[in-house]
Amino acid sequence: MLRLFKKKGFLIIFVTLVLFVVIGITASGNSKLGWFGTLLNSVFSPVQKALSVSGDKVDSTVSFFKDSKALKDENKILRQRVEELEKENDEFKTLKQKNEELKEALNLKNQLKQYQTISANIIAKDLGNWFNVFTIDKGTNDGVVKDCTVIASKGLVGRVLEAGPFSSKVITVIDIDSTVSARLTRTRNYVEIKGDLALGDQGLCKMYNIEPGVDITVGDRLETSGTGGIYPKGITVGKVKEVRQTNNELDRYAIVEPVVDFTRLEDIYVLITKK
Amino acid sequence: MRSRVLGSALIIVAITLIQSTVLEYIEYNGIKPNILLVFIVCSALLGGNITGAVTGFFTGMIQDIVSGKVIGLYALLGMYLGLTLGTLNKRFYRENIMVTLMFTFVATIAYEGMVYFLGVFFKGQVDFLYSMQYKILPEALYNMLVSIVVFKILIKVYKKQDRSEKVSRNY
Repeated sequence: MLRLFKKKGFLIIFVTLVLFVVIGITASGNSKLGWFGTLLNSVFSPVQKALSVSGDKVDSTVSFFKDSKALKDENKILRQRVEELEKENDEFKTLKQKNEELKEALNLKNQLKQYQTISANIIAKDLGNWFNVFTIDKGTNDGVVKDCTVIASKGLVGRVLEAGPFSSKVITVIDIDSTVSARLTRTRNYVEIKGDLALGDQGLCKMYNIEPGVDITVGDRLETSGTGGIYPKGITVGKVKEVRQTNNELDRYAIVEPVVDFTRLEDIYVLITKK
Repeated sequence: MRSRVLGSALIIVAITLIQSTVLEYIEYNGIKPNILLVFIVCSALLGGNITGAVTGFFTGMIQDIVSGKVIGLYALLGMYLGLTLGTLNKRFYRENIMVTLMFTFVATIAYEGMVYFLGVFFKGQVDFLYSMQYKILPEALYNMLVSIVVFKILIKVYKKQDRSEKVSRNY
C-alpha cells in the first residue's frame, strides 16, 4: 500500500484532496488549523514590521526632497487657513457641547465605553491585487480576537479576520467580502454597505438593500447600526457619494465614500471588549 | 539537492517579505507584480514537474498563511501551476528567455484568472471585463518584466549550486 505513495500521480491527487479538505475547513471559519499559520506568521511579522518601517522611511525621505517647494507654498496657504479655522472652531465648540448632551441621552457614549482601544500599525499588505486585507502588529497577546472592530480616528476601517499571537489580519470595508450593517444617520433607515471590486480600487464601496421610498441625498452620513452583531453601533462609516438607479425605483444602490482614506492609513485602533 | 531546497526556501521567504511590505511602492496604476508567481514559473521551467509542483505548493502555502482569507487556495493553484509548467520543461529549450516571457504571461492570466474565478466571481462580483482589463492583463505584463530578472538570477544561482556540488564530489 505504501508503494502507491511513490507514484507521482497518486501523490498529486492525494495532496489535492487534502488541500480541498483544508480549504473547506478554513472557509467555514473553523480556526482549528490556525496554529500552523500563526506559527509562521509569528516568525514573519517582526521582519515584516521592520521592512514596512524602513520602506516608509525611505519613501518619506524621497518625497521630502521632491515636495520641498510645493510644501513651502502649501505652508503659506495653510497658515492663512489655520487663522480662519481657529475662528470657526470657537463656534463649533458650543455646538459640540450640545451634541454631546444629546448623544448621552441616546446612550451612544456608553456603547463605546465598554471597549478598550489599543493602537496598532500596519506591517504588511495583501500580496495580490484583488483583496483589501492587511496585517497589523497586535494579536491575541494584546487581547485582539477574531471579529474585533478596527477603526481610525475618523471612522470605521474594518474588522479582524484572523488573530495570531503577535499579528492579525484585518479586512477593510472596501474589500469584496466585507459587509457592514449600517444606517443613514439622518433618516434612521437601515442599509447594508458592501465592498465592490471596481469601486474598491477607488477607495469606495456600495450601499445595498435600500428600501423603496427612503429619502437619500448626496452627502448623507452613514454609521454602523449595531444590528449585524459585529460592529458596535454609532461608528461613522462614510458619506453617500452618488445614488444610482438600476432597473426601477425598487432597485437602487448608492456609492459610499468611506470617511477613512485607505491609501493613507496611519493611526488605527482595535476595539477590545473590556472584561 | 539539499542546497537547492534550502536556497528555494530562503528565496520564497525573502520574496514574500518584500512582496507584503515594500512592493506597493512600485505599483503601476494600483497593480503590483506577483513575484512569487514568477518564481514558481521560473522554478518549474528550469526544474521539471516535481520541482515545479513542490515549489508551487510551498510558495502557495506561505502566501495563504501570510495573506490569504482561506488556507489552501494559493497552495492548490501554485502546485498545479508548477506541475503543468514543469512538464513543459523537457520539451522546450530550458534556458530560453522568450519561453519564460511567454509562459509568465500566459501563466499569470491563467493563475489570476482562477483566483478571480474562485475568490471574486463566486462571491457575486461578476465584473470579468473590468478584472481582465485593469487587473489581470496589467499584472501579466508587469510579471513579464519581473520574470526577466528572476529568471536570470535563478539561472545564476542554480549554476553556482551545481558547481559547488560538483566540487564537493571530488573526494
